[in-house]
Amino acid sequence: MWELLARSLEASTVFLFAALGELVDQRAGVLNVGLEGLMLFGGTAAFITAQAMGSYPLGFLAGMMLGALLGLAHGFFSITLRGDQVVSGMGLWILSFGLTTYLGGPYTGPLGLGRIPGFLGLSPFFPLGVVLVALTWFLLFRTSLGLAIRSAGENPAAAEASGISVVAIRYLCVICGGTLAGLAGATYTLSYNPVWTYNFLMGWGFVSLALVFFSMWNPWILLAGASLFGVMWQLSLSPELVLPGVLSRYVWRTVPFAITIPILVIISTSWFRTRWGLAKPEALGRPYVKG
Amino acid sequence: MRLGRHELILEPRPALPAVYAVLGAVAAILLALVLASVLFLSADAPIFAAYRTVFSYAFFNPHGILATAHRSIYLLLCTYAFLVPLRAGLWNIGLPGQVYAGALAAFAVPFALRATGSAPALPAGVLVALMVAAAAAAGAAVGGFAGALRARLQVNEILVTMMLNSILVWLVAYMIKEGGPFMGATAEGESFTLPQPLYAPLLRGVPFTALLALGAAVFLDVLFAKTALGYRIRALGENPAAARYGGIIPVALSLFVFLLGGAFAGLAGYHYFAAVPGVYKIPGNYGYYGDLGFYGIISALIARGSSLAAVPIAVLFAGLSLGARFAQGALRLPFGVDYALLGLLMMTFIASHVLYQFRLTWRRVAAEAPAVQAEISRE
Amino acid sequence: MTGPTDRAGTEPILAARGVSKRFPGVVALDRVDFDVQAGEVHAVLGQNGAGKTTLMNILFGLVQPDAGALYLRGVRVHFRSPHDAIARGIGMVHQTRRLVPAHTVLENIVLGHPRIRGVLNLRAARAEVEALCRRYGFAVDLGARVWQLSEGERQWVEILKALYGGARILILDEPTSVLTPPEVKTLLAGLQELVRDQGVTVLLVTHKLPIVMAASHRVTVFRSGKVVARLQTEEATEEALVQHMIGRDVAFRTVERSAGTGHPLLHVEHLSAFNDRGLLALRGVSFALRAGEVLGVAGVSGNGQEELAQVLAGLRPASAGRVHLDGRDVTHLSPLERWRMGVGYIPAERTEVASIAAFSLVENTALTYHFDPVYTPRGLLDDVRLSRLTQHILATYNVVAPHHYVRARHLSGGNLQKLILGRVLSRRPRFLIAHLPTQGLDVEATAFVRAKLLEARAEGAAVLLISEDLDEILSLSDRVAPIYEGRFVAVLPREQADAETVGSMMAGSRPQETRLR
Repeated sequence: MWELLARSLEASTVFLFAALGELVDQRAGVLNVGLEGLMLFGGTAAFITAQAMGSYPLGFLAGMMLGALLGLAHGFFSITLRGDQVVSGMGLWILSFGLTTYLGGPYTGPLGLGRIPGFLGLSPFFPLGVVLVALTWFLLFRTSLGLAIRSAGENPAAAEASGISVVAIRYLCVICGGTLAGLAGATYTLSYNPVWTYNFLMGWGFVSLALVFFSMWNPWILLAGASLFGVMWQLSLSPELVLPGVLSRYVWRTVPFAITIPILVIISTSWFRTRWGLAKPEALGRPYVKG
Repeated sequence: MRLGRHELILEPRPALPAVYAVLGAVAAILLALVLASVLFLSADAPIFAAYRTVFSYAFFNPHGILATAHRSIYLLLCTYAFLVPLRAGLWNIGLPGQVYAGALAAFAVPFALRATGSAPALPAGVLVALMVAAAAAAGAAVGGFAGALRARLQVNEILVTMMLNSILVWLVAYMIKEGGPFMGATAEGESFTLPQPLYAPLLRGVPFTALLALGAAVFLDVLFAKTALGYRIRALGENPAAARYGGIIPVALSLFVFLLGGAFAGLAGYHYFAAVPGVYKIPGNYGYYGDLGFYGIISALIARGSSLAAVPIAVLFAGLSLGARFAQGALRLPFGVDYALLGLLMMTFIASHVLYQFRLTWRRVAAEAPAVQAEISRE
Repeated sequence: MTGPTDRAGTEPILAARGVSKRFPGVVALDRVDFDVQAGEVHAVLGQNGAGKTTLMNILFGLVQPDAGALYLRGVRVHFRSPHDAIARGIGMVHQTRRLVPAHTVLENIVLGHPRIRGVLNLRAARAEVEALCRRYGFAVDLGARVWQLSEGERQWVEILKALYGGARILILDEPTSVLTPPEVKTLLAGLQELVRDQGVTVLLVTHKLPIVMAASHRVTVFRSGKVVARLQTEEATEEALVQHMIGRDVAFRTVERSAGTGHPLLHVEHLSAFNDRGLLALRGVSFALRAGEVLGVAGVSGNGQEELAQVLAGLRPASAGRVHLDGRDVTHLSPLERWRMGVGYIPAERTEVASIAAFSLVENTALTYHFDPVYTPRGLLDDVRLSRLTQHILATYNVVAPHHYVRARHLSGGNLQKLILGRVLSRRPRFLIAHLPTQGLDVEATAFVRAKLLEARAEGAAVLLISEDLDEILSLSDRVAPIYEGRFVAVLPREQADAETVGSMMAGSRPQETRLR
């Protein structure tokens, strides 16, 4: 049982890192639907680097850097060029999907390095995730920078009129978000499931995106949501622990995805929107034009 | 960005005539192919031999040409599955899922009507027609589900369709693996093979679905260019606020485009798994064909929503992906050359799109506002 | 040209010399010289589009001038952004709220403050802000969310924010346009105290005469991007100011007044509607409109006009009230049905709502014809007919375009508006809603559009003209209805509507309002 929980938390960590990065992004008003692409690229870069150099730290570094780079590209397209943020995100995803399949092909298979030591059977990334959540919460709600970020996402005109550079804030957030997405991918390929195969994420990036919406842009709720989802995912992999013999395991694999749909529907109803809709950063997804 | 007296500015370009868009598309494709040479180089493959292998297999080899034709039909239908919602400003990323749904529905027909043996109860023609209809309906249902949620509740269609993709991938796995209902009697992890009478009628080796695809091309072109409905869809995609002003109602249209797009994807599913000679089953690596559907997304984007322009593009991509796969085997390239090409195409396409709309200019910094000589005087 | 100073020899605290600014197609400011003395309330008066806001934006660093220089306390300064201006002690409260509605009052005040860095010490900031509030006798819950506050309270939050940021020069751009009379009193009294006791300098941008007379020491009048008068307020009269604002040479075209010979076509009763923020913007408007009549709704933007136009066009739901067109209740009819019934709508947003930039001119024409069976027989667009119609519109409305298949984004504002007008009028609407029809257009296009509106009226249409331009209202309307805070102040026949009366009603002032001083 403990093992199941430990594994679940490991899975949650991946969702958590990616979603946390996206949360910061979205709080500043930038929508990145290509999260999956950043995770794929980060994870692939991390895997290749770690295996080639035999070093975990270098692998993580490579993953985060690549994530930051792709985040920067997304930022350039969305902020400077004021392009459609969905187009940019989708483009990055397909780009990453295609390229990582090829680049990672030769490395298909197990990582071959010793497992990252944890304690009590729990990998060190989950506590790191909790720390990051706390840091993010503190940053967003207890510092002037966080206030600036939140204002840039709610009403960029107000932020600009207060002397804040909305462009700078958004770039900062998009790079941070990208770094965390790269970290998420790296965590997947180096710790959670250190075997490379093409499209190893199979939709996790989009689930993380959904989690950001579910969390109503609150880091602590995000932690709860990611943890819950991690448990659900792990259960879907081994349903015999809970309901032995009922339905094929393939059907169980669909459960985590199937559950997100009704939740998405509920948070889209006007009933929900009027009660909690204020949580959404008002300027999310809208290109900011100065003046 | 300033450097001394000059600065580098990225500014919107004044509108270019449409021919530049076409040139841009061609340039993007060529550039991606050129960049592919990097892939060949990194695998120590001789570049020109590599390109020649790709093209000659795809377009000049008798087997290759047929395979290209089959795949073109598939890609074209996938392109239309994405293109129709795109014209309305919506993203049907769920087309792989709809393809799977279509395939499942197509195979469900003989399964349900107990026609899996060699002597089906109903005439073959009827069964084939039912399979086609079922595939289209299933694709439409899955697409329509996402479309309805988007239309009524503004639920993000990207998220819903991605979830549906994942759900359907596993459903197919359930159906064809480990004793699932569709599993083939002899094969593990594959569906049952269609009996001979249920093969799709061929015209010179190409299934009749080619007619469906080409018919769709013409149909969509007429729809968007000539009909009031097509006009409304385009208006909605270009400027939803203006569309509302003009009395156009988004709800019904959003649902409609997803139903139609989903139907095309379902047909693509029927085509590839039930109509292509030599296949006639859902293979174990069905996921590959779902991924192939993403070429449909790129085609639709490069064709800028024109259903006729999508035809040559789909044929080209079909040939490229087949040729790349062949070259991969022949020249011992790493797995995924076709995927890499997909990624490169996306990259060059975005770059060409940006260049079409923006330009870099290098110019002198505007002189400081002239200081008026009059000082602040008093009277 | 430099202006007179009353305290002879005193250097202005803030000055602009030779400032010019162009925007595409319009000269906003033309070699403007402008002085502000320390410790005064200086009113900047003018109609909409006169250049007041542009100058203030330049003084605050939001906009860069094309020519000219700024001087702060005698020293030449250059503001690259509001950041620089704020650092030099200039604060601005804008015409539209620049607050984050979802955040608390305190968070808004503290946002971007130079001294608040790193970890937010909200407790210390709260103490300081509370002290400020006590000093000015303003009570607001610092923990309240801004969206919960009234417009007047939000105004004060912005003023507090500027003061807390260390502003010694406070620019207020149309501060009273959304305030109720008691709130206006509070504001003006507060400003007087600021100036008298704290030595703050206040720049008050307004189009409202009572405010100028009641609260300022000096006034500068703008018209069409130029300074046309500089006066001591004591020496000025309202009539003189109005004449400076409007210009003596305005020719009011004499049009025969039909004064309601047509049959009553439109009845609006107690119409109310919410704006996008969820606040009641239209509060029970009632009026009737006859065929062949122009009713001019005169008001500064933000008083409910947009909501009125949208509700009548079917693009916004009415929260209360009824609309009857030709006896039929159309209150909840869809926009499509209204087009079919003969309602025509010319929205204020030319490019965002009334046209589709990427479509050709012919396709734009189709925007109000796609439902017309004559032009879409059996569901197919009759391209021939539509392009003939478009060409006809282009010719009749003097639209300058290379050909009718060019994309709408290539048309200039004036030509686009003429096309939109032509498209709507070609349907021969019985009821026409024209919202800001000549905004941003040059002289020729403006005259053309106005002539066409009168033509529509002559052909028996009931026209609802919504405009900020007093000129336009007075020269086109048979009846005038000044709108203020979502209500019609009155509905006057043209003979009783003169510039000053309408102007002051638009401004919400009543003749018997007590003056502060």
